Amino acid sequence: MGTSPKSSRDPLEFRKPESSSVPEPEPPPREDAEQLYEELRELILAPEQQALKELHHRVDDPASRTEDVGSVVAEAIQLRRKQGGDQALSAALTPTIETALRESVRSDPHTLADALFPVMGPAIRRSILETLRSFLESFNQVLDQSLSVKGLKWRLEALRTGRTFTEVALLHSLVFRVEQVFLIHKKTGLPLGHAVAPAVAMQDPGLVSGMLSAIQDFVRDSFHTPQEQGINRMNVGDLDVWIEQGPYAILACVIRGIAPRDLRDRMAEVLENVHRDYPEQLDAYDGDSSPFARVNSQLARCLEHRYREEAQPRGFGFAYAAGVLLILVLAGWFGWRAVQYARWERLVSAFREQPGYVITSFGRENGKFLLRGMRDPLAADPAQIIGASGVNPASGEFHWGGYYALDDSIMQQRAAALLAPPLGAKLQVKDGVLHVSGSASANWVRETQSKALLLPGIRAVQFAPELEPDRLAFAQAKATVEGAVIRFPLASAALSSSELASIRILAENMQSLVIAARVLHRDVAFQVVGHTDSTGAETSNLNLSQRRADRVAWDLGRNGIPEKLLHAQGVGITQPLRNEATEADREFNRSATFQVMVTDH
Amino acid sequence: MLQKKICMLGSFAVGKTSLVRRFVESIYSDVYQTTVGVKIDKKNVQVNGAELSLVLWDIYGEDDYQKMRWTYLRGASGYLLVADGTRKTTLEKAFQLEQRVREEVGAIPFVFVINKCDLLPDWEVDPALESQIAAKNWNVLRSSAKTGEGVEEAFALLARKMLG
Repeated sequence: MGTSPKSSRDPLEFRKPESSSVPEPEPPPREDAEQLYEELRELILAPEQQALKELHHRVDDPASRTEDVGSVVAEAIQLRRKQGGDQALSAALTPTIETALRESVRSDPHTLADALFPVMGPAIRRSILETLRSFLESFNQVLDQSLSVKGLKWRLEALRTGRTFTEVALLHSLVFRVEQVFLIHKKTGLPLGHAVAPAVAMQDPGLVSGMLSAIQDFVRDSFHTPQEQGINRMNVGDLDVWIEQGPYAILACVIRGIAPRDLRDRMAEVLENVHRDYPEQLDAYDGDSSPFARVNSQLARCLEHRYREEAQPRGFGFAYAAGVLLILVLAGWFGWRAVQYARWERLVSAFREQPGYVITSFGRENGKFLLRGMRDPLAADPAQIIGASGVNPASGEFHWGGYYALDDSIMQQRAAALLAPPLGAKLQVKDGVLHVSGSASANWVRETQSKALLLPGIRAVQFAPELEPDRLAFAQAKATVEGAVIRFPLASAALSSSELASIRILAENMQSLVIAARVLHRDVAFQVVGHTDSTGAETSNLNLSQRRADRVAWDLGRNGIPEKLLHAQGVGITQPLRNEATEADREFNRSATFQVMVTDH
Repeated sequence: MLQKKICMLGSFAVGKTSLVRRFVESIYSDVYQTTVGVKIDKKNVQVNGAELSLVLWDIYGEDDYQKMRWTYLRGASGYLLVADGTRKTTLEKAFQLEQRVREEVGAIPFVFVINKCDLLPDWEVDPALESQIAAKNWNVLRSSAKTGEGVEEAFALLARKMLG
């Protein structure tokens, strides 16, 4: 630096006279010259120096430098892409972009979420749809497998043909087998891998892969579907081709029969694994299959050794047996319950029909039958009714309240208890009317007539004709009259005073009988019959007996019995009261007896 | 094992299918071409002692190439551009096809095959056209599906170009 001003000055000094010879006549002193030189330099070099300074400033100052680069950065990137430096540019930018994305998410996840929203929606929808479709498909299959109509048909066929069920099931569409698996490079349609089930006639994987790709392209092209979508399934008869789409490769399974839906999951899993294991190789694939040498073992997982014909008949058989057992158990249980219930129902109606019972409620509570009602104390023993119905008393509970039943049979019992009928009498209640029949004393009848109406529910008492009090009184009076015997001394028609007293009573009875007969619209007449013992002559006896009858009739007439009602007749010994074995018998036969003759009006 | 997807391109009836029929293994009938628009065949060739498996996409070529399914070209490592020497228009179409391929998938290796050299007297390739072809600096081969001439060479050349 020290020499440069000098060396640069010299030529200037040398040239100076030429350039400044006209304006300045004489050279200035040395110091002035220095100053002048500086001025001159400034005059000449100032613009360049200024430009240089600005340049320095632009280069040194980060702000202005940023400004410069900023104005051309987009064009620079475009230019770089045009020059074919895409990959290097991407590689350079990737870490920054990744960091930027991470930073963006950390500071405010919403920004990125909002930006991705239009993309995520369809992706999620597609995923959900796919899941739903898988679910439905497997659901259908479960239905297929468990609905036993087909299974029963096969079982019948097995029975008919004598084959095992497994055999029959195998013969039908149960078998499925993944015969071939292709891993196909999406862009070139070339096979990356190929797995074949044993003993399967296979075609050249290159050709098949190509054609599969071509068909995919064809469909996409023809129907304008997006690039990332494609055929998922092709079906011809019992041959199915299932295809899973990945970003770089597709996986195709050739399936004979009906495969379960979970094979699809398996395929997706295998395809994902392939993409995970060979990301760069897939991207950069150029026909060299050597990096994918081991991919076939991954594909073999899709060959599905889980054959359906092995699993299903077993599962089906078990399910079938279990189903039948379940049905039997259920049927048994329901049957038993039905029987129980029917018995209880019968018991309830038995109680309902039983006099002296009222059922107020019947139902089940806590697994037990519960019967509530009312019972007349005179009704039949409930235990007896329960026992007859076959119901287990322990399976239910009974609650009885007390009441007075108005059922005829119950009222009949109650009447019997109250009225204590004599053995010959019969009580019967019908529609609230107490019917009394048979034989009984007039007293009892009288009592019954007044007491029976005190019984609740008894609205009337109906005596049988023979027990009507009037008739009864008549009969009784008649019997009294006809039971009377008047005694006479031996061979005489005279009466002792006691006999005369008896005749007075008899006359009263006869009067009563006449009255009783009149109530019944009857007329009575009395036959007075005279008797003798067997001693003496017959004619005299007949005579004596006539006298005796006349004597009594006369006395009865004296006691108020109209003469026209009395017929005296001696019968001698023809109608003895007793066979004469002793003196007492003979004494007894020396008498007069009475018969009542009744005529209706 | 190395495998490559290659395409057969060319106008209708230039003999693409006939060209390869005797030399490839095929499981698909020609019907595919008119239905799906492509027929896939395979040809194994030896290149420098290594075996290369060529999967041929024989794309149905209509006279109006616009209707060709260009998606079939995706992922191809090379192609045979086939023209019929007896029909000048097919050569012109081939020029257009080549240009279109470059637009669609970029500059990938190809071999220009002018077919039907067994009918050489009938060829419509005039000197002007010949010089036009020469100016393009392409790999050009004459072939005959009938005699088999040039077919193996065409595949071998394409294979070498793809690997080189």
